[in-house]
Amino acid sequence: MTSPLIHITDLKKHYQMGGTTVRALDGVSLDIEPHTFTVVMGPSGSGKSSLLYLLGGLDRSTSGEISISDERLDQMDENALALFRRRTMGFIFQSYNLITSMNALENVAFPMQFTGIPVSERSTRARQLLEQVGLADRSHHRPAELSGGQQQRVAVARALVNNPSLILADEPTGNLDTASGITVMQLLSDLHRSGRTVLVVTHDPRMTRFATHKIFLLDGHVVSEDEYQSAALEVP
Amino acid sequence: MKFLDLIRLIFGNLGRRKARVALTAIGVVIGTAAVVILVSLAVGLQKSATDQLYGIGDLTLIDVMPAYGMFYGGGGGYGMAPAVSSDQLQEPALITNPVLEQFRAIPGVQSVIPRDYLNAAAVISYRKLEGGVGIIGIDTDDLANIGLEASEGTTVLSRGSVIIGVMTPNNFYDPRLRPGQEPPPPPDLYNEQIQLVVMKWDQQGNVTQKNISLRVAGVLSETGGEADYSIYMPLELVRSLNEWSNGIRINYNKTGYNQVIVKVEDPNLALDIADQITEMGFQAITPQAYLESINGYFLVLQIIFGGVGTIALLVAAIGIANTMAMSILERTREIGLMKAVGATNRDVLSIFLGEAAGIGFIGGAGGVIIGWLAAQGINVLAIIYLAGQASEQGGPPPSVAVYTPVWLPVFALIFATIIGMLSGLYPALRAATMIPVQALKYE
Repeated sequence: MTSPLIHITDLKKHYQMGGTTVRALDGVSLDIEPHTFTVVMGPSGSGKSSLLYLLGGLDRSTSGEISISDERLDQMDENALALFRRRTMGFIFQSYNLITSMNALENVAFPMQFTGIPVSERSTRARQLLEQVGLADRSHHRPAELSGGQQQRVAVARALVNNPSLILADEPTGNLDTASGITVMQLLSDLHRSGRTVLVVTHDPRMTRFATHKIFLLDGHVVSEDEYQSAALEVP
Repeated sequence: MKFLDLIRLIFGNLGRRKARVALTAIGVVIGTAAVVILVSLAVGLQKSATDQLYGIGDLTLIDVMPAYGMFYGGGGGYGMAPAVSSDQLQEPALITNPVLEQFRAIPGVQSVIPRDYLNAAAVISYRKLEGGVGIIGIDTDDLANIGLEASEGTTVLSRGSVIIGVMTPNNFYDPRLRPGQEPPPPPDLYNEQIQLVVMKWDQQGNVTQKNISLRVAGVLSETGGEADYSIYMPLELVRSLNEWSNGIRINYNKTGYNQVIVKVEDPNLALDIADQITEMGFQAITPQAYLESINGYFLVLQIIFGGVGTIALLVAAIGIANTMAMSILERTREIGLMKAVGATNRDVLSIFLGEAAGIGFIGGAGGVIIGWLAAQGINVLAIIYLAGQASEQGGPPPSVAVYTPVWLPVFALIFATIIGMLSGLYPALRAATMIPVQALKYE
């Protein structure tokens, strides 16, 4: 048995909102194996996104341990976290987060500016990735000139540009039509098949078709599929 | 992040918001241009004043006199005694021949030349004209040794000859001229014989005259100073005339010289040597000292003028701070993205500080160009105007009115860039310390 890529123990994320304490994550423990495609599901407010951002080192936990490749994220300072993200992770967001004044090629190449990769190599790599997501002919289009699906494919290409071993996606199909959503799901599946570990937070049950593992969250806790289903049925 | 990548990213980001950057930079352009123009004006005034001073005085000359009216208690220096008891007052030290040797022994002194004024009633006559001018006896063969040049003839003094200042002929008049009559034009005295008439009176009021015929061997070039209105002759002649007129023998070893010119090898040594002479108990005056005080005055003027320009630049800095604060609000998600893809806090800080500095730099560059062009324009107009004034009122036309030294544009550009960077410091720090998840979720 391989050691887990991600190891989480008793992870808590509490924050104050209007005088009340919100327990976004309230003692989550789980392991995620390398080269898996994990889907994290749960109703709104269940703590899915909080889990993803904590895993990505984009937020700080209240308590608990997070290890990725045996490195403790919860003990790293801001600088170490940034460098860790740079070499280990790629992010895909629901709202794409493309820079509107840059074209597709520039958006894909953007993360490489912080890595010291030579300019010529950046351009070649960005082109290859745009080709991989089927947007070679759109490389000089700005986000406003691309459809939602195309923008998310650009975001997928950008997530891959530093060749990360872990892809973290937050509702990647949330803003997309059905066909575009499927295309993005297939792209993520391709990434998984190419040996990467993919973790997707989603509401979209179609995503489970591509997943190797499913995690259900409810009120900040990991629950079984049955508990999740019954909670989903209670939603009016 | 590599420095070149940083620069490329900064100017790329500024290029994405051209209109806003341009509008913000205009403030810096105005501020920097104001600094360049105003400081150029102050430097131009200084240059004009010091150029004229260079014309007046040879900076290698030190005028040395006995320290009349000064007190000194071991060390010398200028200053009037506020309350000095009589035993503290001393007779001033005399400039005797051994003292001249001491002056000559100071390293850097080229020559030591005593001089004296004719201390007697004297008239100079030329044909029907008479003139009253200062007569200076000087102990050198060649007036070139005290930095004087001849416009006609020679600067070499010989027996029976004098060398006159360029304005001397203007002081000649016709004593028989009746009111209403046109005064004669100034005579051309070069190579002419003039008569020096020295007079003395006895106790009964009887006048005795002594006539000496002298040839004008040279006319000096204009200096703008005392030499223009003086007649130079050998010191020995002046001494013998003073003896005859006053009826006493003059022994310079007992009475001392009234004035000595110390010529130094290098103008930069003048102040130092003047200080040494002052410490010996004499009064030493050098044009360098005037130059220093004038420079001090103009430095203050430059600081005041520069300060006025800097106020404009500081107003522009508020504009930069505002633009950067707005930019950071608008680009909050972009900051979140930067952090998500691996930018460190330092990278983000560098980018936003760099953008603020970039606005300062762009504005500074524009301001330097506009300021320099405006300074040149003002210089041309001012020289035309001042030359007109000078020709009306007499005096040399100014060579420069507004002068931009090389260091000024460089300084202004660096200053504007630093101002820009400082303005962006607070917004950039805010950007750098944003929590990534909050930045990414910012609406």
